[in-house]
Amino acid sequence: MNARGLRRYVDDLLRGRRPKPFRPDDFEAAQIRTAIDLQAARLGSDAPREAFLTDLRQRLAAQANGTSQPVGKPGATRRHVIVGTSAAAAAAVAAVSIDRTVIGGGQVADGDNYSGSGELTPNTGRWMRVAASAEVPEGVMHPFDLGSVVGFVRRVDGKPEAVSGVCTHQGCRLWFDAPDDRLRCPCHSTSFSPAGQVLTHQLPIAPKPLPTLMVREQGGAIEVFAPPRPNEPA
Amino acid sequence: MTAHGEPVDPRPLRVVRDGGYPNWEAVYRDNATWVYRTIFARVGNRADAEDLTAEVFLAALRPLRLTASVGEIRAYLRTTARTVLAAHWRETLGREITSIDDDIEQPPESEKAISTAPQRVAEVLDGLPDNYRGILELRFLQGRSIKESAAELGVSVANAKVLQHRALRLAAQVNEKDET
Repeated sequence: MNARGLRRYVDDLLRGRRPKPFRPDDFEAAQIRTAIDLQAARLGSDAPREAFLTDLRQRLAAQANGTSQPVGKPGATRRHVIVGTSAAAAAAVAAVSIDRTVIGGGQVADGDNYSGSGELTPNTGRWMRVAASAEVPEGVMHPFDLGSVVGFVRRVDGKPEAVSGVCTHQGCRLWFDAPDDRLRCPCHSTSFSPAGQVLTHQLPIAPKPLPTLMVREQGGAIEVFAPPRPNEPA
Repeated sequence: MTAHGEPVDPRPLRVVRDGGYPNWEAVYRDNATWVYRTIFARVGNRADAEDLTAEVFLAALRPLRLTASVGEIRAYLRTTARTVLAAHWRETLGREITSIDDDIEQPPESEKAISTAPQRVAEVLDGLPDNYRGILELRFLQGRSIKESAAELGVSVANAKVLQHRALRLAAQVNEKDET
């Protein structure tokens, strides 16, 4: 029995921290297993970070080039050290043929978040209320649905900003994962920052960032410039 | 580069040609995501999932012969991940908590092979009383804080903690029973 170890382990999982080792008994192991299942079942939680994929690619390139020095963060964990030795032992075996021109080619396509989808500027539109000013304090992601456009408004240094609420890959509707501070796509685990930049994705080509919307604050309300509803005269 | 705006397949398969990979980078690009997701589904946290994924590729790409077919390379990556995960549990908790099956009918990059957690969780939650299901959904599936969850359920924070503790115990019992 190690009630404290288990509680801390589950707590770390929930907070997204690396859990600490302890010696669980059978039933505690079962609870950890269930907690891991629950964690993994969270929509979009299992998409790898773009920064991680890029970093690992560099470490692999270094390994392939024979410069065994890991490019990774300072203070490599014990695990990395272990990898280093086992990989060195494995190096005696046949090697991978390396295409240096590809490595020299720099960043993978996935890494680029090319310039952007820009601002949504409908041919015809008008200012439409999406929230009362008080509903959007600093740090809150406020969803809205205008019929023609869905999105999220938030406040940055006091000023309202808005992004589209539709994934730029295949158009699934995004939801806001508050603890992780990101918009998530339910379809392919893509996630976006509140500003609309792609944070994670599992696609061969990085989807575009979210378009921003024109937004203003007037008379105690936040308004977005959007086209009329489909069933409404322009 | 590639034409933009074209619909892309959700699975990164486009670098594959004629059953083989041109170089290690193609192997990595094509397989990094499913390997990571397979591991994440079995450790439940990003830090461990990233370390173990790195370990798989650093170990596997060394001796890898690219004359192998895509299928063979994927099977090899899954086996490497299986070994790495087993070592992880031995080192940290001293026992195997989760594992990566060796004989699977589906290809390793398929959703079913990556994780069956969502289906299993849905079944387990179905078998729980409302307030137990509620607290687990709020805390784990929606990632809400204990305070928010307590407010949502109309109980005190202390009660919410107890509720979460008991709910996980019961869920674990239901989960284990389903396994056998």
